[in-house]
Parts: sequence; C-alpha cells; structure tokens
Amino acid sequence: MTPPEPDDSSQADEHLIRDEQGNAVSDRPWIIRTYSGHSSPKASNELYRSNLAKGQTGLSIAFDLPTQCGYDSDDPIARPEIGKVGVPINSLDDMHILFDQIPIEQMNTSMTINSTAMWLLALYVGLARERGVEISELTGTTQNDLIKEYLARGTYIFPPEPSLRIIAEMYEFCLEEIPAWNASNICSYHLQEAAATPSQELAFALANAISLLDLLKERGRFTEEQFERSVGRISFFVNAGIRFVEEMCKMRAFGELWEEYTKDRFGVKNEKYRRFRYGVQVNSLGLTESQPENNAWRILIETLGVTLSRDARARAVQLPAWNEALSLPRPWDQQWSLRLQQILAYETDLLEYPDLFEGSIVVRSKVNDLKALAREEIEHILSMGGVIPAIESGYMKSALVRSMSERMSAINTGEQIVVGLNKWTDGIPSPLLGGEDGGIFKVDESSARDTIASLETTRSLRDPERVAAALEVLKEAARSGASMMEPSIECALARVTTGEWAGALREIFGEYRPATGVDGQKLSLNGERVELLRARIDLLSQQLGHRPRIVVGKPGLDGHSNGAEVIAVSARHVGFDVIYSGIRLSPDEIVQSAVEEDADVIGASVLSGSHVELAQQIMEKLNAYGARDRIAVVLGGIIPPHDFETLFGLGVKRVFTPSDYELIDIMESITEVIEANTEANTEAS
Amino acid sequence: MTSLDSLEQDLPRLVSRALQRDKMAVGRLISVFEDDRKGSASVRSLALELLNAEPARRNGTILGLTGTPGSGKSSLLSRITVDLLKANSDLSIAVLAVDPSSQVSGGALLGDRTRMRFLPSENRLFFRSQASQTDLGGLGPSSFQVCRLLTKLFDCVMIETVGIGQSEADIRHLADRVYLVLQPLGGDEVQFLKAGIIEIPHAFILNKSDEPSALTSYHHLRSSMWLARPFESEDLPIFQTSALTGVGLEELEIEMLGQIRAPGATAIETREPYFFDRWVHQEFGKSGGRFLTQELGGAAAFVAQAGGYEQAQAGFGQVFG
Repeated sequence: MTPPEPDDSSQADEHLIRDEQGNAVSDRPWIIRTYSGHSSPKASNELYRSNLAKGQTGLSIAFDLPTQCGYDSDDPIARPEIGKVGVPINSLDDMHILFDQIPIEQMNTSMTINSTAMWLLALYVGLARERGVEISELTGTTQNDLIKEYLARGTYIFPPEPSLRIIAEMYEFCLEEIPAWNASNICSYHLQEAAATPSQELAFALANAISLLDLLKERGRFTEEQFERSVGRISFFVNAGIRFVEEMCKMRAFGELWEEYTKDRFGVKNEKYRRFRYGVQVNSLGLTESQPENNAWRILIETLGVTLSRDARARAVQLPAWNEALSLPRPWDQQWSLRLQQILAYETDLLEYPDLFEGSIVVRSKVNDLKALAREEIEHILSMGGVIPAIESGYMKSALVRSMSERMSAINTGEQIVVGLNKWTDGIPSPLLGGEDGGIFKVDESSARDTIASLETTRSLRDPERVAAALEVLKEAARSGASMMEPSIECALARVTTGEWAGALREIFGEYRPATGVDGQKLSLNGERVELLRARIDLLSQQLGHRPRIVVGKPGLDGHSNGAEVIAVSARHVGFDVIYSGIRLSPDEIVQSAVEEDADVIGASVLSGSHVELAQQIMEKLNAYGARDRIAVVLGGIIPPHDFETLFGLGVKRVFTPSDYELIDIMESITEVIEANTEANTEAS
Repeated sequence: MTSLDSLEQDLPRLVSRALQRDKMAVGRLISVFEDDRKGSASVRSLALELLNAEPARRNGTILGLTGTPGSGKSSLLSRITVDLLKANSDLSIAVLAVDPSSQVSGGALLGDRTRMRFLPSENRLFFRSQASQTDLGGLGPSSFQVCRLLTKLFDCVMIETVGIGQSEADIRHLADRVYLVLQPLGGDEVQFLKAGIIEIPHAFILNKSDEPSALTSYHHLRSSMWLARPFESEDLPIFQTSALTGVGLEELEIEMLGQIRAPGATAIETREPYFFDRWVHQEFGKSGGRFLTQELGGAAAFVAQAGGYEQAQAGFGQVFG
C-alpha cells in the first residue's frame, strides 16, 4: 500500500504551479502560518478563523504551559499560567471548541506540543472520530522533540527513555493510520535560541534524528519497507538568524548531510524519503527590546535566509512579531508578520526561478565548511552512544551554555554589534508603542475562570467508571511496553483530562530532573569592575558574617533556564554563595529555599508573562514566613516597562529585562540591594 | 542581617521556635553558627546554653554521605529522606549539603536543591546548603558548628559532601556513620579507591545499580576492599541501589533508620576536641597546633579546662601569640 503524499512533504513537483498547458510557471508558496493561541479555546478559535480569513494557509497552535507540562488548569502550579503563552486544553470538550467551524480534514495543523504530544494527538484523533472524519485524512505535525526540551525549552515531564519510547510509538501508529502526520519535528530552532552556533545546530539536530531512527530500527516493529517510509516521515523545525547568508548555507548543509546519512547509515534507497523537509520560525533570540521597531527588518532579513534558495527552501514558515521581546504579540502584530510572508510569496518574483546559488563558489565552500564541522560533532555524539547519553551526562547542555556565554560576552564587549542595543542606541521613541495598550497584549483575566469552569463541567458530566478503566488500561500499557496510543485515544473519548493522562504516566515513568548547564560556563566578567565588586562583596561579607547568599530559581512552568543559569554563574564569579534551585518551582518552594538558606536575596526569572502573579505569590509567602524585610526580591525576564510600577509596588526591588545585558551592571545592582537591605535592617534593630 | 546585639536579644524566641522546627528560626540560627564575626562566639554560646536547658532538645544521629560528583548522592538522599519521613511520622531530618567554593572569587554554586524533592510545608525536613570554602570539597569550616545546632533540633542530620582528598577524614570524626556512594566503577575510580578513601566509610552504596556494569563493579569493590582493609573483623556492607528505579533503597533505609533509632548516638560535645584542634590548625597554622599539644596538654584537656568550645576559642587567642 502506498500512502497518499501529504501536502508539505510531497515531491518537489507538486510544489509547482502550472499554466493551462501544464508547463511549470512558478513554485507553489510555502505554507504560511502564524504561531498563535491564547486565553481560552473559544478566544483562540476566533483568532484562528480570522487568521484563515486573512489568507493564512495552515494553523500553528500554541498551547499554554500547563497543557504542555501535563497539568489541569485548576492545579495550583498551573493557575498563574492559564492561557498565557497559548491555549489551555483540558479535555476533548476543549478541542471541540478550539476547532469549531474549522474543517480539520482540510487543515494542515501544527501543534507545538512535546511531552504531552501523544495526548494532544489522541485528542485530535478523538475529535475526528466524533466528527466522523477519517483519521487518515488528517495532516499536520506534533512537535514532540524532547531532546531540545531537555536542552533548551524545558517542558519535559518524563526521563529521556520513556520520552523517546512515546515518540517511537507515535511514529509506529501514524505511519499506517495517519500517514500524512509528522509524528515529531526534530527541532534545531530552540538550539539556536539557546545560542547554538550553526555547526552545533546542524550537529545536534541531525544526531537527534539519527538517534531516533536508530531507536525505531532497534524496536523492530517496522518491516524494511516501513522503516524506509518512516525515514521519509522525519521532518525538522529550524531557526533562521540574522547572519542570513550563513543561515542559507546552513540550510543547504542540512539537506546534504541528511541525504548522506539516510543513504549511508540507513540505506534508504528511495530518493524521495531522503529529502530534508523542514518548517521554520525565524529567530526570536536576536529580537531586541530596545528600539523594537528594528525587529521588523530583522524578521524580514531572517526570512530571506530560508526562502531565497530554492533547493533549501522551507516547506512552512511562521514569523515572530516585532514586539516579542516586550510581550506576547497582539493580533495586529501577527497580521503585520503575516503580510510580510504574503508580499514575499505573492508580490515578488522569488518563486519564478530555479536555485539562485547553484554553482556559487562562495556558497559551496561555506556549505562544505559547515558540513565538516557538523560531521565531526555528530560522530562525537554518536560515539558517546547517541543523544540520550549526551543529554544525561550534561555534555550537550554545557556546550550550549558555553555558546550562550560567548554570545553574551561578544555583545558585552561590542564585538558583536546589535543596532539599538549596543550601538546607535539614541533614537526617537517609537510611536508604535503608543496607544492605550502600550503596544502590548494582555490576557483577559476572566478567561482563566471560564477555562476552569468548563473543566469542572467536563468532570461532572463524564462517566467516572469509563475514565477509571481507560486510565488503568493506559497505565498497564505503560508498564508492559505495549503501545500507549490506542489507550490514550480511549482516554480522550472518555473525557480524561490532561492532568490525569500525564499524572497516570508520571506514576509509571517518574519525573525527570535534568543536568543543569551551570557547569563549564565561560563569562566575560573580568577587569577592574569585577575586582572592585569582589572587594565590595568581601566587605559586605564581614558586615553580614557570611558571604551574601542569593537563591536563583524559576517559579512557574516556563522552562527557559539559560538566563537564570547565566545569572547564577555570574553571581558566584563575583563572590556570592549561590543556591541554584532550578526550574518549575512553585513560589512556595522558592521562598522555602530562601528561608531555609537564610538567603539575602531571591532572584527569580520569569519569561512566561506571569511575572505579576508570581511576584505577588512570592511576596505573600515571604510575608507568611515573616521574612519580607530580611529577604529582598529581584526579578528578571521578559517584563514590559509598564509592569515595573506594579512590581515595585508589590515590593520587588529590581527588575531586569533583556535590555540589561551587561552582567556586571546586574551584579552591582543586586549587591546594592543587599547593602541597602542590610543597612535598613541594622537601623530597624 | 541584624547586628549581633539585637540577635542576642532575639535569641530566646528564636531558640524556642527552632525547637518546633520553624523554618525561619532554624534558618537564622544556622547563620549564627556559620557566622565568622568576632563577637558571634558568645551568641553561639548563649544559644547552646538555651538549647541545653530545653527538655525537648534532641541528640540527633549524624549520617555522612560522601562520594564523587555524579555518583548520584543528591538524588539518593532526596528519595531516602522522603521515604523515611513518610514511613515514620515522628521522625525529623536535617540535610546539610556541602559544595566547594571558587578559589578565585570565594563564591560558591550550591546546586543540590535542584535534585531534592521537597514535601511542601513539611517542617520535619530541613535542607541547608553550605560552601566548603576549600577547592576540593569535604567539610566546610563551620560544618561542625552547624551540626552542634542541628543535632539538638532534629533526630537525624545527614551531611552530604563531595568526597575527594584528605579532608574526607573529617567526616569520620563528625558522623556516627559514613557511607561512601559510588557509581559503577571505571578505571579512574579504581585508582581513587586505592588512594585511601576506601578506608574511611562504614558502609558502601553502589548507586546506579540499574546500569549494566554494576554487577562487575560490585565484585570489583568487594575484592579491592579485602586488599585495602584486611583487618576488618567482618565484611563491610555494600548496598546496591538505584535512585532512578528505587531498587535497593528499602534495605538502605532500614539500615539508616536502625542507626537513627539506636540508643546513644555520640553526643556532639565529645567531638569538640577534634574540631577544636582542626580550628587551631586553620586559624594559627602548625605552630598553633604544636603550642596546643605541647604547652596546653592537647585539645581535649584545653577545651575542658576552658569550660567549653567557645571559651576555648577565646582563650586560645589570648595565650597564643
């Protein structure tokens, strides 16, 4: 049986637009998407329908952090995060609302979902079944790449082994049942966000894909013919940075290396199954908070890197919005990015030419260089036993954290120019930031209440016996090694909730605590100011009777830990005793750490947009311990300036944002906070 | 941080709250025992006096866990403490995790909390990190001081150290029982065992026993022990555990609970002479040590004569140089 070709993985031929005589006149544009979702299933449904009406050709769903981390919306750790960075999905009932009036059989739906990917696919299948849609007609992608979650993004739940088993089972299910579904997307995107160099990005992503195929082979559930087809199902999600010539070369190197590895290592005979298929979101890391309007140009240039070269062109593109470094984008901001894609695809002549770089000596040589570096790194990781050992030993994480430190030090020293950030910083204030909303998006607080109310309704209307039985079957499959896909679909139909599905599997697989990247960082924290600060901290230590102690941690569910880790390492470097307490902590846990450690300051990092709620909870807990005057609180993260006053009003002493990129400034500022607090406490007593 | 004077006034309240294991009070009192300011000794002295007058004070057992970085000490400790507390509603445990300091800046990165599972708002479990202030790990200068406090507040104090080098001998003098945590051995670790650390522990924990090389390592360890410690009257226990799967934890927990429940844990005061001697060496060097032995009749005699640890510290400064 030959499965039908999905639209975003088909042969290049299907990407041609032909005239009436059948002559190819130009290429079909890539799938145009906007990564979106917020507040509630109902609000997101309205947004999707309006985006589709504006000419968007696929859906890209953002889920909120509780859904991504496997918690119900009414779980205490979930509450500050409901609907913040995406849509909350608690059960199949929410899926019916999310896709209301959207014909899923015609949609190419991309879901940014990882540790709960099997659950979301089960819900999507459940939705199709209840609507009477053949599931073989569904097309789309579940992101489902846990390797990059451990390395950079942080929404993992289970340890690497069961996580990879889940991915493998999804490939095994989809290959025959939903042949046009990408069971996972190997992501190099987040590696670049974590400051991976182009060769690291190539190497880590390809090593990840190779290890996945090794696993599929080892499990032995596929015939040779099926395995070959499953190689063809591997797709990638990549990043495009501002060095767009190098990025274009990187994409060519990606394609060539993949072709070589699938042929040589896996012996894939059919050329079609060796093709490198990828979607892209251009880089958010390089977007600046200062002079944010400049980001519009950055996004445009980055888009060129993944569209200019026909041979290495993305199959699907989604763009960030110009103001992402400030807050979550508003619908208008997303529309502006969407228009960019439409102009490039439909107004320009880009799609009328064959590859523009074929035969370029410069491009060829750059591609070869990248390939050689990447190959060396891939072989190194494979010699360690593949990506799992490279993750568990902390090897890959440390490499990334080192790259991040190097990037930050290059910006600090001015060696790497970022316009409006470390050069040409004076400018006329942007009128785009005017208006009543200050140019940023705010989630409607009442939507969280609605979400919880509908979760309660689902719970009260379902058949508890069917729920219990479905969860039991799921757990039994998890224990025995049988596929969990069908049991998950039954859970979906029975109205099991997201938290219950993940909770059942947590019982069997446990939860993963990763190696942190706090070891082996290299910082450009040197020179006279560091020496002066160390002397100042020594003096402060004499006053305190101990070295100043800082608890660094991330409250809430967002797992981007690299910023917090850089702060932790910097603080030690200038002479603090640093208690790094990791990610996914409740405000309660952070405060308890600070109280037990008798810390002088808490440094909390929040990138999810929940900074006000989390700061509130931290302050309440400090109050409850009677520690509010003793332990100062500073916050870091993506925090819009107009929230500063609210945070200071709550008692937060300092707020650091991406525009505070000078580590020594941050360290001096935190020292100042402790000095002031020490003085105040001495006077009070 | 408040001045020492106001701390002294606050002390009775802090002590009585600490005895109920109020986290804020325990946290602050530990800082008093870590305090290296000149006047802090008298505050400690007073705190101990107040504590010793309390019938509710404990005489906690000290268990030491030491081992190389990466052997899984923290994960192991995390599971053991939670299991023990769940199974024994009257038990209380304090964990003191010691990590090395940077020799350049003096600062330290204390990361053990990332591996620790906490029972929310459970005051029978207390976790404190401490910087060793030496580059290799081992106990910090105030580890003993903090144990003087914690043994009076908790039934068990578990000390976790990075075990490399000579400073490890210290833990044998502080803990009632020392466990060496090992992971399935590579070539380097065999060298490391020969280097003397094998002589320290009362028991071995071979962690990560879910790994394929674990069984070979077990036999390897048994045989090298016979070489390194030929005079032991009976075989030293080796616990094979996996913090990941939970295998072997129950046996280890039974053994530890037995240690905690056994009557007559060494009173912390009897450990004062050793740590006083160590303190003299740290503060006054070899000549200070010689003076203590030759002129003052040794640490035990001098501490007794001075009427206590703090008094001995103050007194030594006066008679020496």
